[in-house]
Amino acid sequence: MKTKKFKGIFMKRVAIIGVGNSKFGVRSDVTYPELAFEAFKEALEDAGIAQEDIEMSVVGTVGNRLYDMYPAPLINEYIGLASKGPLRVEAACASGSAALFTAYNAIASGRVETAIVIGVEKMCEVDTQTSTAVGGRGCYLWEFHMFGTSFASYYALFATAHMAKYGTTEEQLAKVAVKNHYYASKNPKAHFQKEITIETVLKSRVICWPLKLYDCCPISDGSAVLILASEEKIKDLGVQDPVWIEAIGFGSDTGSLTRRGDYTSLKSTRMASEMAYKIAKVKPEDVEVAEVHDCFTIAEIMAYEDLGFCKKGEGGKLIDEGQTWIGGKIPTNIDGGLKAKGHPLGATGCSMIYELTRQLRNESGDRQVPLKKYIALAHNVGMTGQYCYVTILRR
Amino acid sequence: MSKTPEQPTLKSRTLTLTHEIPISRTKTYWEGLKEGKVFATKCKKCGRVYYPPQVDCPRCLTSDIEWIQLSDGKLETFTQVYLKPQGFTQYEDNYIIAIAETKEGAKIMGWLEEKDVKHASIGMPVKISAKTMPDGFTAIIFKPQNP
Repeated sequence: MKTKKFKGIFMKRVAIIGVGNSKFGVRSDVTYPELAFEAFKEALEDAGIAQEDIEMSVVGTVGNRLYDMYPAPLINEYIGLASKGPLRVEAACASGSAALFTAYNAIASGRVETAIVIGVEKMCEVDTQTSTAVGGRGCYLWEFHMFGTSFASYYALFATAHMAKYGTTEEQLAKVAVKNHYYASKNPKAHFQKEITIETVLKSRVICWPLKLYDCCPISDGSAVLILASEEKIKDLGVQDPVWIEAIGFGSDTGSLTRRGDYTSLKSTRMASEMAYKIAKVKPEDVEVAEVHDCFTIAEIMAYEDLGFCKKGEGGKLIDEGQTWIGGKIPTNIDGGLKAKGHPLGATGCSMIYELTRQLRNESGDRQVPLKKYIALAHNVGMTGQYCYVTILRR
Repeated sequence: MSKTPEQPTLKSRTLTLTHEIPISRTKTYWEGLKEGKVFATKCKKCGRVYYPPQVDCPRCLTSDIEWIQLSDGKLETFTQVYLKPQGFTQYEDNYIIAIAETKEGAKIMGWLEEKDVKHASIGMPVKISAKTMPDGFTAIIFKPQNP
């Protein structure tokens, strides 16, 4: 049995043996358990296993826009895993990755041989203003209560500082949106299905200056499910050539935005990626396809820099050069990203892994990134860097 | 938008959440706001300044703190909010949220007293105060100063 040593601890190898992803969008046709079922069915069929093969279910959802306050047992019941779900995991917009981290650790530590990660979010059952208010309550007492912060306003504070310090332009931000809408138009599961131009972005209404409507991800419903197994279990099941989780790095930062060092970078991204690169023994330049947390266009620019895809301050140049399109140095968000595929909070981290798993298996059709090393990276941020997970996959 | 066509839905019973938030230990802060003053805390042992104010120092594990007033700062970043969340839609102006660094080394959030965001700039000196609005809520206000 192979193990991975990190900080003196031997961990079992863990692989992804099944993935599923629902259609993202305004899903007023389904309840949250019905929505979870869509991705669950796909993942179970993809893995070619049954409920009895799964030992543990981890639900990742923020859930604060739901009519139910304790959704995990109802999801597990609906999909036939009522006796396998001891917890629900929440780390804001990184809840999906936090759930993956929990399931991964349960297998890596030898506690269970198989686990399922269910990322799901329903955001559109409440109106936009309510959803914005729920989302903006990241630091109620000292920020929301007095100033009416929203998530767009938080990232706008970073955009203003980044533009002032590095000369990043509104056109460069718009180019991120254009790229991600382009790839979303080729992804039938994405919320948005249309290409846009730089003009579309620049002429759209201001949400939180300098961010405009098309700089922001939509409010979406969606689910994504991952099935994980240990190396021994994979042999038992006869799974050939799975996608391995090489590393999961984590980072976190202050809850109050006023306790940050600066507003041009996310420290938790730097922490999580350094940890992940170290465990996986890879460098940023080894990564051939990436999913980064582009809830707002500025977030993708900062991610390029904080993940080491380019030098600090050169994220705008990277998108200008087209380096994050297929054919560039580091194709990023080839599924449309949060920006255009949609960002159903708990589903997002799992959906990133869904996309990368399919890319690593060469199953992405006309969005397939040409691969040599078969190394992929997912970067999932919670709030404005309060949480961060970086996952490195390899096939 | 790929909005699905109108679907039949069931309306939930309304849930109203209004919290009674304890402020007995930060009373100085909330009363200060009513008088137009903004306070931070300072640990008497290590001298660290805390904003948002906290009455326990996690480094010294002491609750022996003093209150200090913040009055001058420089803008670090800002944004103007056009899409306002529930609870703020009654304000006609698109408010400008800013973060300023004070001379005490604390960073603080406030509303910049300025109608046009184009007149704001990073490094701009501001006077920090608080005001009570007609609806009874208080807010921290940054007044631009001529450097």
